[in-house]
Amino acid sequence: MTEYKLYDKTGTTLHLLLFSDVTNSKELLNYMQAGTLDPELAFFNALLIPHVFPVLAAAHKALLTKCRGRLTTKTLHSELVYNYSGSKHITESLKRCGINDSTTYVLVARFCATPDELEATRRLIHGTEISLSELPIRADKAQIQKHYKVSSLELGISSLADAIVCRIAVRDAL
Amino acid sequence: MEIESEEEQFSSGQLVKQGAEARIFECDFLGRKAIIKERFSKKYRHPILDSKLTSKRLYGEARCMTKARKLGVATPTLFALDSELHTLTFEYIEGLSVKEVFLQSGSLPGYEEQIEDIALQIGRAVGLLHDGGLVHGDLITSNMIIHQDSKQLVLIDFGLSFTSTLPEDKAVDLYVLERALLSMHSSSGNVMERVLASYRRSSKQWSATLNKLGQVRLRGRKRTMVG
Repeated sequence: MTEYKLYDKTGTTLHLLLFSDVTNSKELLNYMQAGTLDPELAFFNALLIPHVFPVLAAAHKALLTKCRGRLTTKTLHSELVYNYSGSKHITESLKRCGINDSTTYVLVARFCATPDELEATRRLIHGTEISLSELPIRADKAQIQKHYKVSSLELGISSLADAIVCRIAVRDAL
Repeated sequence: MEIESEEEQFSSGQLVKQGAEARIFECDFLGRKAIIKERFSKKYRHPILDSKLTSKRLYGEARCMTKARKLGVATPTLFALDSELHTLTFEYIEGLSVKEVFLQSGSLPGYEEQIEDIALQIGRAVGLLHDGGLVHGDLITSNMIIHQDSKQLVLIDFGLSFTSTLPEDKAVDLYVLERALLSMHSSSGNVMERVLASYRRSSKQWSATLNKLGQVRLRGRKRTMVG
């Protein structure tokens, strides 16, 4: 578990927890779709995440749209997953970057989490919590390159994480 | 969970430069050093026209910057785009601009090789951009930074960039660079010749562009519109 400061003045934070061998992703998905998750969380297919920085950039963007009351999706946490995908297609984004019935490797995010909420989150997810430093090792680079359409030419001048950040940022301009 | 809404919260930082179109701030973005480029509104324009123009240019710049990366030309990583405050936030590149390198290191050892390498990189980068149908629009030596660790050439300021496949536009792009090199750096030797040699190797459509460049040299950057 790691806490990240998104914005100093208001003290808004983002907590990230990484789990492997998750067995109840179907259950989690059902809760989420019914809107009965307590606390509200964002679930990522962690295979698509090579580094935390793109997730933070997506969170920063989600927070900004929330402040202005311009969320595209229903909740702040679904907006985070939608933003991370870099695409404008909401359903497709949540399918690819979110979790499905059989996902076992999951990154969980929560804005401004309290210690109680973190405890509840850990109880909710049946899996092994591992360190975020596993992200670069476990990421599926081929799948990421395909999803974000990153050519080998681009990787010559940029890291995979930076390529994703660019796509997250530029989506609104397309 | 409470999230306060504060409007100006995300655009604070140290003012670095101010131009006619935008202000540049230095700041921190989630732990990384960053630059914010804010396009301000022009009060002398009609408000509706003004907001349309500002957003259009902001989006254009963001698109061109990321397109250049896809073509294999290094540009700063775009971190965020704010269509309400009209700002772009991107990576801070540590290093000197090509202008500073050329003006500074006149008699240092290894200077010749350094210039050779920079000219090679400029030609290659511009060739890649042009073959991908992107024209930078403001190829001057202060819009190029040499990354201090990797010595990689990074192109900045895509504020005047546009997509075009016309030899005319590409030739004018090269002409601007040639004039910049001539006026600022004639003491550095004939850099443009080396840039063009490298451009020829990297661009498949070099011949049409360089033919056009000959014509542009005779008439200047602006087309003569007679009749």
